[in-house]
Amino acid sequence: MESQKIILKPVITEASTAEMDNKRYVFDVATQATKPQIKAAIEELFDVKVVKLNVINVKGKKKRVGRYVGYTNKRRKAIATLSSDSKAIKFFEE
Amino acid sequence: MSAKWEKQSENTGKLTFEIEPDKIKEGLDQAFLKVKKNLNVPGFRKGRVPRQIFDHLYGEEALYQDAVNILLPDAYSAAIAETEIKPVDQPKIDVKSMEKGQSWVLTADVTVEPEVEVGDYRGLEVAAHSTEVSDDEVAAELKKKRDQQAELVLKEDQPAAKGDTVIIDFEGKVDGEKFDGGTAKNYSLELGSNAFIPGFEDQLIGHKAEDEVEVKVTFPDDYQAHDLQGKEAVFSVKLHEVKEKQLPDLDDDFAKDVDEEVDTLEELKAKIKEQLQDSKKQAAKEAVQDEAIDKAVTNAKIGPIPAAMLEEDVKRQMDQYLNGMQQQGISPETYYKITGTSEKDLRKQFEDGAEKRVKTNLVLEAIVAKEDVEVTADEINQELENLAKEYNMKADVIRKSLSDEMLKHDIAIRKVIDEITESAKQVEKSESAK
Repeated sequence: MESQKIILKPVITEASTAEMDNKRYVFDVATQATKPQIKAAIEELFDVKVVKLNVINVKGKKKRVGRYVGYTNKRRKAIATLSSDSKAIKFFEE
Repeated sequence: MSAKWEKQSENTGKLTFEIEPDKIKEGLDQAFLKVKKNLNVPGFRKGRVPRQIFDHLYGEEALYQDAVNILLPDAYSAAIAETEIKPVDQPKIDVKSMEKGQSWVLTADVTVEPEVEVGDYRGLEVAAHSTEVSDDEVAAELKKKRDQQAELVLKEDQPAAKGDTVIIDFEGKVDGEKFDGGTAKNYSLELGSNAFIPGFEDQLIGHKAEDEVEVKVTFPDDYQAHDLQGKEAVFSVKLHEVKEKQLPDLDDDFAKDVDEEVDTLEELKAKIKEQLQDSKKQAAKEAVQDEAIDKAVTNAKIGPIPAAMLEEDVKRQMDQYLNGMQQQGISPETYYKITGTSEKDLRKQFEDGAEKRVKTNLVLEAIVAKEDVEVTADEINQELENLAKEYNMKADVIRKSLSDEMLKHDIAIRKVIDEITESAKQVEKSESAK
């Protein structure tokens, strides 16, 4: 599986931006990706070293439209802790 | 900070000044703190957006407007201090360039105080004012006091004479119709006081109590009620009482009644003389002061005065005037109603004197600057205490509302006025002998 298909997008929230100072970066990843795949993909794409990886499956929310019941998309969130000598990942080009 | 002042005409010019990158950064940070409070970005609670995200979403340029507003007052006053100009109005600010990472360049169209070239202000010649009090004046004052103490005594069966007071009912008609204010009962009228339409009082002279008189008068052309001007009116008047004024005898008892502190008539006379002398001296001093300052102003050369300065003065005078009214419980609206004037009329009234006041102030300020008038801390404290007494407030309360600068300015101006007045030479002139 290609790295670009595994790492979907960064998660930009108040919590995630606060954690960036601690070298922890949060991404949405492909639901079927495994930890080793995610780790390899991050290291390849951003040229950094991942020392710890936490992965969370986020269930879709139950929504209903009139009498039809459905779910929003489920997500897989990965929190990667980088080694202290890794350079910072810049989501916004200066 | 570099600022440049280019004069464009007598009173206006262009002030060009820069804001440096360091300052800009501070301004941007402050502006961001202000802006982010009301910013909603998905993923962040309201007001918690980091600067980085903001810049990405909206761009730093979005903050420029706010940053300028924050930086401008400081930058502007610094530029003024550097170029040593004296603006009189709110400047019209233009932004010339605003590049990222460079100094911002701004220009301001400023109206400044006209230049004042001080002329002679020492040893000016002014008319002398006599402060002597003649016996006639004392006698006149005494008579006034006697009138005040006069008692009204009923005159029975005798005709009214000039100076008497009559109690009357009257009903006035113009062309057979009653009009507003033309009817009253038990009205007390002093004959010869000219309180009524000319002719009215004269026609009552010679009548006795209980007489009924028809009084025919013509309203004067300048009567305050417009619709009555020049009209003929017939008043049917009924006299109830005729009272005579009885003046108290000029003796020691009268003196005691007038003033508890004196025992004899002679003492009262001396006291009246003293009072008259004091008030004359005061008036003379003021007259000398006014004339001397007037001359000093005339001697100075002043450029044309910008309209903004006049406008400001008129505004201040009006505020003061209306505030004074307000303190007596008369709101501006009521005031206009009572006097039948409008804001425009009042404004006009103050506009006439505005130029003179502004000029006088400018000249006095110029003299202060020229003389380097020093004001000590003691003098400021003294002034504060005086003000505290005058307004019945605590000195520290006043201190808070007035800056040292303002007090210094006032004291310095007063010192210059004193200097001008004291150095003025009083010259005897025939016309001032009056």
